[in-house]
Amino acid sequence: MSKPANQHVNGNGLNGNGGAAKAEMLTLEANTAAVEALSDYYAEPAWMRAARRDAWAHYERMDWPHTKEEAWRRLPLARYPLENRQIAVAPNPLQALRSLPACWLSPLAPQPQVSGIVVHQNGAVAYQDIEAQAAKQGIVVMDLHAALHTHGDLIRRYWMQGTITRPDFNKFTALNAALWHGGTFVYVPEGARALRPLQAMVGYDDQGSTGLHHTLVVVEKGARLTLIQDRRSLEFLPELNSEMVEIYAEEGAWVRYVSLQHWGEQRHSVSVQNARVARDAHLLWVNVALGGQMTKDFLRTDLLAPGAHGVMQGLTFAAKEQVMDQSTYQLHQAPDTYSDLLFRNVLRDQAKTVFYGMIRVEPGAQGTQGYQANNNLLLGKARAHAIPGLEIAANDVRCSHGATVSRLDEEQLFYLQARGIARYDAEQLLVQGFLRPIIERVPLACMRDGLDEEIAQRFRESPAQTQ
Amino acid sequence: MEQTLAQTLEIRDLHVRVEGKEILKGVTLTVRPGETHALMGPNGSGKSTLSYTLMGHPKYEIVGGEVLLNGESLLALSPDERARRGLFLAMQYPVSVPGVTLYTFLRAAASAMRGYGEAARRSGDQRLHAHLIPAREFRQEVNAEIGKLKMDQAFLNRYLNEGFSGGEKKRAEILQMALLKPRIAILDETDSGLDIDALRIVSEGVNRLQAELGMGLLVITHYQRLLNYIRPEHVHIFYNGRVVHSAGPELVEKLEAQGYDWVQAEFGV
Repeated sequence: MSKPANQHVNGNGLNGNGGAAKAEMLTLEANTAAVEALSDYYAEPAWMRAARRDAWAHYERMDWPHTKEEAWRRLPLARYPLENRQIAVAPNPLQALRSLPACWLSPLAPQPQVSGIVVHQNGAVAYQDIEAQAAKQGIVVMDLHAALHTHGDLIRRYWMQGTITRPDFNKFTALNAALWHGGTFVYVPEGARALRPLQAMVGYDDQGSTGLHHTLVVVEKGARLTLIQDRRSLEFLPELNSEMVEIYAEEGAWVRYVSLQHWGEQRHSVSVQNARVARDAHLLWVNVALGGQMTKDFLRTDLLAPGAHGVMQGLTFAAKEQVMDQSTYQLHQAPDTYSDLLFRNVLRDQAKTVFYGMIRVEPGAQGTQGYQANNNLLLGKARAHAIPGLEIAANDVRCSHGATVSRLDEEQLFYLQARGIARYDAEQLLVQGFLRPIIERVPLACMRDGLDEEIAQRFRESPAQTQ
Repeated sequence: MEQTLAQTLEIRDLHVRVEGKEILKGVTLTVRPGETHALMGPNGSGKSTLSYTLMGHPKYEIVGGEVLLNGESLLALSPDERARRGLFLAMQYPVSVPGVTLYTFLRAAASAMRGYGEAARRSGDQRLHAHLIPAREFRQEVNAEIGKLKMDQAFLNRYLNEGFSGGEKKRAEILQMALLKPRIAILDETDSGLDIDALRIVSEGVNRLQAELGMGLLVITHYQRLLNYIRPEHVHIFYNGRVVHSAGPELVEKLEAQGYDWVQAEFGV
């Protein structure tokens, strides 16, 4: 924030991007009229209105997922507030970042450490800013609604082109496609590169607001991007969140996507996130899941052409009654592609995690390497389910998968205690150490320290595990 | 009485069971400040059981006897409480702790030993590093010690014992001893896995610390090799779960020349 204002363009960019966001509040029931109302409200191009209508037709036709389907078998979907769908858009443009609520401001990296930022509050953009050095290259981090007016053709080309980010993947994606409001748009043109990470925050602190955020990230040929997107909410009644993230890494691009999830205690979320990786492009995806009452995430990397490289690292800390369910998918569609996944979960109290992991190697995708590991550390009476899978239709591949469920190691605890460290502190060190390999992939020391502190705090909310 | 017990480790008629089987059958031994004791015995005689029992490993069941430090019984204390009273065990097989760097571990341990954790708890200071020695102060101290042990500073950023060679592990043990400043140190087969250079560096470290801290040393070993560098005044033969014979340093030579066979003949059951 010490950066002089003239180094930035669109200090409060709400006026400079096509005037899409209006000042008045919008409150809607989720129904067919809402589709039209949203399109009107944001003065959307005809193709987006058509896309929403089409998605709404899917939504009306489809059933909610059923626990008979394998991917949903272990999630208590019946406890989701599915009928409680409200759309509230309350524009609240801020004059300065520091006027954000402190609980959202403090977890953000200080402005001098990032090249651009967009903040959403209750489904509407509240603040956005980008460094001049990045803006000059055409790099954009902004409200997706406004971007429809400035980058409409580009968005249309990429809109919901993923294997799972499509309206008919399930009823949740249909809902998001039809009624999305609030969106993060990140675009890095060919060869461009910001000096520092870009940052996005999606926050809700209003009552009766279903989260329907949509994130679209396009990184063109040879461009580089680090994006950190955090999610936070405060609610007193059960709320629903249906979210989509689409990432397109074009030829030779380098993309690091750090996804942080800090939903409030009553949020019930389904997210569908899909990265599409082109020839010789590199993706590093770090997924940190800490919040929410119940969460289901579909996290998928598609390696589309030779040389595509995808690393997925995930960290989950589930406590109390939390249910955190993740389905990961590594698709090797082309020869000579590489993927490596490491997801680590810590569970305490009565929490439950589910990990479904799949590596799929298509016929002809020779020379593929695909690895997958899921490690679960149990504290208390928690339950971890790990269901790793491989589907290999090529013969010249190197693939492995493995899952472990364990408790704190008594020999390690003894060693630490023998050096004077009290048992409880030794347990905390081991928990932090277990998650360390993932935290090390997070950029910016302040972000890593913040996560370390959160994990320590979450651990310290629990009683000593063993004695 | 207080005077003579200060910083003294006393083991009295200690009986210990592991998984139902009695391994220690009445160990009696006293180590006073500044003294160096060697405990020598063949494999399987119970030497490591003794060292782990003294440190409080939960696997070992005490069925009789007493262990005192400063005149206070250790037996009801947890390993960390024993450590904070001045007992240190340099382990034969230090476990690796992935994800916890040597530096993080050393800082946590030294802070606990010096009461930082307690102070933070008492004052209710919840900040992440409140229970730790200030980083800059500790970094200087570690750098000084690490230089004396001819270790590279890059070591500090590696995960604790993870992928360390035998020599690196043992040096890291002595580094810990240097920072934690015990009153009584037990070296459990510290010479195993060490080449001659590493053996020299480790022994010099131990001798220097003993001179600085005046600590009592209990050196547990199978071979006399280490005892060429760390010279004991007292040598004990450990056999079948107890000390069967104690003498001066000349006993080392006898064991080296004659092996353990005569021990069995003389003291075997």
